[in-house]
Amino acid sequence: MADFLNSYSIQRWLELCPQGYLEDTVNGHQEGETEAESILEDDDLRTAAIRSTVQLVVGERAALAASSGLVNLAPDYPSKHFLATQTLDEARHVEIFTERLYDLGVKRADLESTIDNFVNPHLVKFAEVLLEKIDSGDFIAGVVGQNIVLEGLAFSVFEMMETTNRVPNPKFAHTLAGTIADERRHVGFGENRIGSLIKEHPEKKPEVEQMQKDMAYHMLKTFSLSFEEGADTVDKEREAIGDVGEANFHGTDLSSASSQEMQAVLEATVISEFRTRLARIGLEYQAPVGV
Amino acid sequence: MNDPNEQAVLSEVPRQTFELEECGFREVPKKWRKFYRHWEGPGDELGPNEIICPVCKVVIRSKREIRVGDRLYCMPCMSRMIVVLGEDGTLQTDVTY
Repeated sequence: MADFLNSYSIQRWLELCPQGYLEDTVNGHQEGETEAESILEDDDLRTAAIRSTVQLVVGERAALAASSGLVNLAPDYPSKHFLATQTLDEARHVEIFTERLYDLGVKRADLESTIDNFVNPHLVKFAEVLLEKIDSGDFIAGVVGQNIVLEGLAFSVFEMMETTNRVPNPKFAHTLAGTIADERRHVGFGENRIGSLIKEHPEKKPEVEQMQKDMAYHMLKTFSLSFEEGADTVDKEREAIGDVGEANFHGTDLSSASSQEMQAVLEATVISEFRTRLARIGLEYQAPVGV
Repeated sequence: MNDPNEQAVLSEVPRQTFELEECGFREVPKKWRKFYRHWEGPGDELGPNEIICPVCKVVIRSKREIRVGDRLYCMPCMSRMIVVLGEDGTLQTDVTY
């Protein structure tokens, strides 16, 4: 175990991340890049962009609280070191998505009220389930909730958003690309570290699976509300940016898909990934009821 | 390629080798970049020297043809894996913890 954990050292993080793909970036994108004019010039599109970015800020604030809490719960120093790097990654994500809110016209004094106004209440519940486990000192449940469920969700959502923004809004797509690269390490650590711990503590399975079920319930409710709120602006966004060619996400062309089709492919992708990742570490995906 | 005998015969055939070039993957230090590329989703056909990391979904590329039993390392997510034959006859990987 110690051997595999050595890969997750702070030195490796420095080489991959600040000295690697983030070198010469400013808030995660290339210097001088700006938000697409089509978004900034249209109040409806700008509001929709603010709304979706608020969810990213809130999700990343939860990840920051969770990963920093896990540092003190980790049973060994290599894990603490990795989680310290993850904590900085998550803080960076909070910062760059907050900067995007400012770029979209949110005044600094209005940041918290804007977040309160637009946050999806189901996303808050999703985060609360995870943070309760960490507050109670449960490292295994905390890592599954943070690095498998939350990061697995973020991984697919960021990929989908990066795909749709690649042509019309390269600045935001570049910001997302750096966070996706970070998420690869986070899910890798989650699976590798917890894979061995679950084997050592099989008695934890029912409790961890219940937490996953609760988190999946709130995640699906989050998707429902988010796509419902975004449905009105999908056509307007396409009209504003014009023909950008195919944007393939797991077999669905996002450049022509309806809001319902986008929700369906995202849900299917995330749940399929949950199922596969959990099975690899010896857990069975629990489908939520009533959603 | 479901037949184990076919695998045994294949193992006696010299492996193909490949010259690798960078494909725009910047998530690892420069000297390692040619060993990875982004997966473009369904329809992105893999070469005989390529396999998808099941953990982080990047394509791992080797200088030689990949075969069952090979051990691979994915630097972007730091997972270790072993190549196995999937039920559908394609090469897949089992992550080793």
